[in-house]
Amino acid sequence: MFRSHNVAARIFERQICTPAPGTSIHCARRFYENLVPSCTIYDVECPDHSFRKFTDDGRYLISFSRNHQDLIVYRPTWLSFSCKDENCHDLPLKAKRFESFFTQLYCVPLASSSEVICKDFFLYIESNQFGLFATSTAQIHDAPAVGGAIQGVPSIEKITFHLLRLEDGVILDERVFRNDYVNLAHSMGVFLYDDLLAILSLRYQTIHILQIRDSGNLVDVRAIGAFCREDDELFINSNMHVPMNHVGNGLQHNEPFSDISFLSGIKQRLLSFIFRAIWNEETDETLRIQCLKKKFYYHFQDYVDLIIWKVQFLDRHHLLIKFGSVDGGISRNADHLPAFFAVYNMETTEVIAFFSQNSAELYFLFEQFCDHFHATSKHSLYMNFISSHSNNIHAFEQLRFNKNKASSSSQFVKKMLVSLPFSCQSQSPSPYFDQSLFRFDEKLISATDRHRQSTDHPIKFILRRQPYSLKFKIKPGPENGSTDGRTKKISSFLFHPVLPLALSVQQTLFLQPSVVNIHFRK
Amino acid sequence: MGSLLGDWPSFDPHNFSQLRPSDPSNPSKMTPVTYHPTHDRTLPPPNQVISSEAKNILLRHFYQRAEEKLRPKRSASENLAPEHGCKHPRASASDTMPT
Repeated sequence: MFRSHNVAARIFERQICTPAPGTSIHCARRFYENLVPSCTIYDVECPDHSFRKFTDDGRYLISFSRNHQDLIVYRPTWLSFSCKDENCHDLPLKAKRFESFFTQLYCVPLASSSEVICKDFFLYIESNQFGLFATSTAQIHDAPAVGGAIQGVPSIEKITFHLLRLEDGVILDERVFRNDYVNLAHSMGVFLYDDLLAILSLRYQTIHILQIRDSGNLVDVRAIGAFCREDDELFINSNMHVPMNHVGNGLQHNEPFSDISFLSGIKQRLLSFIFRAIWNEETDETLRIQCLKKKFYYHFQDYVDLIIWKVQFLDRHHLLIKFGSVDGGISRNADHLPAFFAVYNMETTEVIAFFSQNSAELYFLFEQFCDHFHATSKHSLYMNFISSHSNNIHAFEQLRFNKNKASSSSQFVKKMLVSLPFSCQSQSPSPYFDQSLFRFDEKLISATDRHRQSTDHPIKFILRRQPYSLKFKIKPGPENGSTDGRTKKISSFLFHPVLPLALSVQQTLFLQPSVVNIHFRK
Repeated sequence: MGSLLGDWPSFDPHNFSQLRPSDPSNPSKMTPVTYHPTHDRTLPPPNQVISSEAKNILLRHFYQRAEEKLRPKRSASENLAPEHGCKHPRASASDTMPT
């Protein structure tokens, strides 16, 4: 739309030209090509906190104290300074401070002495400016599988989810899980959609659905796992008051209820879906039975042994659930283990789809409708503009390139589907990561907030459009590079969603204080 | 002249000279062309309500596939032999667990 790269010319053009229908936000975003965080303040003196992220509306910067017990929230502002000298091109020293950009709002202790805040966990409820944090006690590995728990998953004595109002730091509600395990790293075990929370208890194989009310209360909606409908438990309890008598070799045993092996509600739904799908494949009776034997009964125990690994919402009623074997639930690298995906409707309690991890059909849907897997609630419209291969031609071309380069199509499909189900709020909405605006090395920096290997070379952001020039560089770490070239360094980047402001935090692995740089537009 | 276009500048002074405005004292004899349907086959049902689909396109695909999978197929006499080529693409080979 814009004919010139000059920002003043673009502003004049914006006054007279109407953008093409449906592209007003894309056109407005192009001004980010002109306003870039090109100035860096290296190694700024700042409080020794671990900075987590900016909230997606840009109102708050979330950080935790080093001992992982307190939450400190800052308000991002912009620097202002006055200069008495005539030649004032450089920033005066007193402006080059952390406090020029950030004002501390409050410091709230969240964790008691035996607990720590999980510094990788943070979910933001934008509509009410609530924040969800998690504290936990230490993990106990090799916990015994009692009380309905499954083997192989560690146990945490107490996990507490805290709901805070971020405006003033008031704790509104808490939810405690005892002797349970929820995967808190990178918020993988919890998914937020609108006002609904899905918390996956790995240990008890239950998906807890909670609602966050405007008043700040966390309300239980349902728990999917052993039972699917809210009144299933009541029905079973009222009909199973008679102890079973097992007759074997003349002996009679009175088995307690918990030993009666009903498959859990969700497992029954899954197995019946698989059965019916295979049943309907053939119409001939003998072929049908053969098919069932080969595809269903031969693998029956494997299907029964599947456990839920991860869950996400697809909309308010539908969940995408990843099933896998017991060994892979918490391990990082479970790619070699078999995994399956199921789509479950919470209202009708039906499974409506079941795929294996290298299903070409699921990959086709993932390729075409990736944005629909990132369940966008009506409050998070900025999610629609995060570049994905479904909404951005450059990302799509990169995907196609990787697909054609892959030696095995099945392996490629499996590798792509590993990212499902998605974790929520894991991508930065900053326009500097928009693939239509800038080109950058995705291995060094990307919208996904993960720690990356740090290099001494600055990370370049190059314009996608004419004149394809280098617009700005982000260099983590000290200005002259670190003296110690051999220690492994990791960097994380926090981009403000709206302002041309970014923080880069470089850490070594020996608990040395991290080096924080501020990148902004001067 | 009282033309609707008044004294607006024009490239050629003879342009728009034939145009006469609609004069309330002298109503135009031209009636606009209207269409009257000759049949009622295309009338909407009287209680029709148009609303947007609640399910997004991804979920519609899932439901469509579920319907195809779970709908009982036609009897064997109408299928000559299991022709996998004409079936909808389905990960039938990879739906089974690796042995």
